Amino acid sequence: MSEKNVSNEARKSLCPEGVEAGSTKKGRQMKEKRKNRLRVLALATAMAITAGGLVSCSNSDEAASEEELTIGFVVHVIGNPFIQQIIDAAEMAAADLGVTIKVTGPAGAEGDAQLVAVQNIAASGVDGIATSVPSASMVNGLNEIIESGIPIVQFNGLGVGVNAPYVGEKSVASGRILGQMVLDKIGGTSAKGKVIVGNCYPGFPVLENRQKGVLESLSQAAGIKVVGPSDVKVDAAANFAAWQGLLAANSDALAMVGLCAPDVESIGKVNIAAKNTKTIGGGYDLTVGNLEALANGSAHISLGQTPFIQGYLPVYMLVDSIRKKIAINKAGFVDAGTEIVTATSVTEPFDLPALTFADLQAMATSKEKTRSYYEPVVQGYIKNWQENLKPISDESS
Amino acid sequence: MLTEFTPVLKVKKRFKLPEETSVVIALLILIAIIGALRPTFLKPVNLLNLSASYAIAALLAGCIVFLLAMGEIDLSFGWILNLSAVLAGLAMIAGVPIWISVFIGIAAGTAMGALNGVLTVVMRLPLIIVTLGTASIFQGTSLISNKSGSVVPTDKEITGHIFFRALGGQIDSPVPIILIFVVLAFFVLHLTLHKTRFGYRILAIGSNPEAARLAGIPTKKIKIQVCALMGGVSGVGGVLFLGFRGAVDPSTGGQMLLPVVAAAIIGGTPLSGGAGTVWGSLFGALIVGVIGVGVVFIGINAVWGTLVTGLVIIFAIGVDQIVRVRKKRFK
Repeated sequence: MSEKNVSNEARKSLCPEGVEAGSTKKGRQMKEKRKNRLRVLALATAMAITAGGLVSCSNSDEAASEEELTIGFVVHVIGNPFIQQIIDAAEMAAADLGVTIKVTGPAGAEGDAQLVAVQNIAASGVDGIATSVPSASMVNGLNEIIESGIPIVQFNGLGVGVNAPYVGEKSVASGRILGQMVLDKIGGTSAKGKVIVGNCYPGFPVLENRQKGVLESLSQAAGIKVVGPSDVKVDAAANFAAWQGLLAANSDALAMVGLCAPDVESIGKVNIAAKNTKTIGGGYDLTVGNLEALANGSAHISLGQTPFIQGYLPVYMLVDSIRKKIAINKAGFVDAGTEIVTATSVTEPFDLPALTFADLQAMATSKEKTRSYYEPVVQGYIKNWQENLKPISDESS
Repeated sequence: MLTEFTPVLKVKKRFKLPEETSVVIALLILIAIIGALRPTFLKPVNLLNLSASYAIAALLAGCIVFLLAMGEIDLSFGWILNLSAVLAGLAMIAGVPIWISVFIGIAAGTAMGALNGVLTVVMRLPLIIVTLGTASIFQGTSLISNKSGSVVPTDKEITGHIFFRALGGQIDSPVPIILIFVVLAFFVLHLTLHKTRFGYRILAIGSNPEAARLAGIPTKKIKIQVCALMGGVSGVGGVLFLGFRGAVDPSTGGQMLLPVVAAAIIGGTPLSGGAGTVWGSLFGALIVGVIGVGVVFIGINAVWGTLVTGLVIIFAIGVDQIVRVRKKRFK
C-alpha cells in the first residue's frame, strides 16, 4: 500500500476527535504557515485574475489596429522539407502584403492535434487562417470557426465539407501523370513485371487520390503486377528502411513508386545500395534530397506540386478577401499546378519560363530565386485568384 | 489494556495541502504569464474551449495513473481509442441504434484492454512489451475496418441525435458537455483509486508486487482488471471523440501517447509505481494544453515551438518540484 494511503489510514485511527491543531503555540505557528501557503495560492490566482482584467483593454487596442492584419498559417507537420517550402512561400506573401503571419502545426501529423492548433490560433485573434486539412475529423471544427466570422483557406490537404476554398494539386490527375511516366519508362502497355507502390500515410485523402491515379495508369498494362500499396512511413529513416525491405523482397521489380515527399530520396538511396538494380524510381516533390536523387540517376521522376503557390496563394486570398470584403465561405478549388521533373527535363505549369534541372536545384535552396522566378505567377494567376477559383469537383477530376 | 486512567496518546491533526497543490500552482503561474502577455487568452470562452479540446487526453491521463501506480505502462491506448471509435462509427452507419453503437465502442475498448491484461499475465511480460505488439494489431484492425479512410457518419438521423448534438456543442451550455462528463469521470476515477479496495490493491501491487502477492492480493486478476479499465476508458474516449468531432480518422489517437503519459507524470504520478494522483493528471493535462496554446498565443514561430514547449515543461516540473520540496521541509 502506498505511503500516502497507509499514513492516512494510520492518522484516521490514531487521531482522536476533538484534538484540533492550533490549540497550542506550535499549532498557532502551523496556522500561520498554512496562511502563508494560502497566500501563495491567492497571489498566483490574483496574477491570473489581474491579467484577465486586461482583456477589455486589449480588445480596444485590437480595435484600434484594425488595419494590421494577422494571418494564421497551420501546417499538418513541422520539420518536413516540403512543408517548409510552403511555409517559406507563405512568409514571403505576408512580407509582400505587409501583414503579420503566425505559423504553427503539430510536430507529428495528426488531425485532432492540428484542429486544436487551428482553434488556438483562431482564439489568439487572427483575422484569417490558412490550413491544410488532412483529416475528416477537422471539418466540423473548421466550419464552426468559419461561422464565427474568421475566413479560412485550405491548402495541400483537402477537407471534404469544409466551407472554404482549397489550393492544391489535382491529386488524381497528378497520380495518373506519375503512373503514366513510370509505365512509359518500363515498356508501356506491353510491360510485364512487378511495380512496388508505397503510401507513407494510408488514409490521407490526397495520397489516396494520387494512389488511385497511379494505379489507374498502371492498370493499362495487363502484365503489370502491383506490389502494395505498402505503408512506407513518413519518417525519413523508417521510409528508407521500408523501401529497402520492399526491394529486397521484390528484387526483380521494374519500378518503385512513392506518393510522399521522402520517397524519391529513399528510393534513390535504396537503388544505390542495391548496386545492380535497374529499378525505376518515381514519386513526389522537389526537395533538395529528391532532386539530388534525380541528378545522380538513382531515381528518375518526381512531380512537384508548386509549394510556392500552395503557400503564397492562400495568404494572398485571405488578405485580399478581407481587405476587399469578399466572402470566401464556400468550397472551391484553385489549381496549384503540377511540375514534372526528370534529370533531363523540367516542365513547369502556368506558362512559367523554362527551367533547367540546375536552375531547379538552385531554387530549392534559395528563397530569393524562388520568389523571383514566380513573380509572373504572383502578378497574374495569383492576383486573379477569383477568376481561377473553380468548383471543388475539379480537384479530383 | 486501556483503562480510564491510561494517558491517551495525543496526535495533532495537521492541515495538509492536497498532493496536487504544486501542480496547480505551476498551472496558475503558466496561465498568469500567458494571460499577462496575451490577455485574450484569459477570456472564459477560450479557457473553456481549450479545456474541452484537451478533455479526452485528460480522461486518458486520469486512467493511465492506475497503470503507472501499478508500475505498468500501456502503449496501445491511443489505438484502442481509434478502433473503438471506428467500430462505434461503423455500427452507427450500418443502422445500429446510437446508444447501442456507443456501447459497442466502449465494450470493444474494454475487451481490447482485457486482452492486453490477459497477454501480460499469460506471457509473464511487462505490459509495455505486450502493448508494443497489440498497438499495431489495433491500428491494423482499424485500418482494415475503415478501409484506410475516415469514418464519418453523415446521415442526418445520426448527426441530429442528442449524442452528437450534445458532444458537438450544438446544445447551448455554459460549459462544454464533454468537459462536464470528463470532470464527473475524474471524480469516479479518483474515488476508485483512493477510496476503494480495488484502488488500494493497485497501489499495493505498484509498491511491491511480491509483497502484495504474499499478502493475498490476486495480482494477476487486478492487472487484467486495470488493463480492461484502461481499455474501457479508452473506448469511452473513442466514442466521445466521435461525438465531439463528428468523425474519426485513420490517424486519430496515434499521437496521444506522449501527451497523456506526460500529463500523468507532470501531474505528480511517479513512473516507479505505488502512488498516483488522478486529479494531478487532470492539471498535468491542462499544463500540457496551456503550453500548446501559449506557444500559439504568444506567436512563437513553429520552428521554435517544440523547443519552447520542452523548456516550459521543464519549468513547470521545476515549479512543481520546488513546491514539493518545500512542503516536505515544512513537515
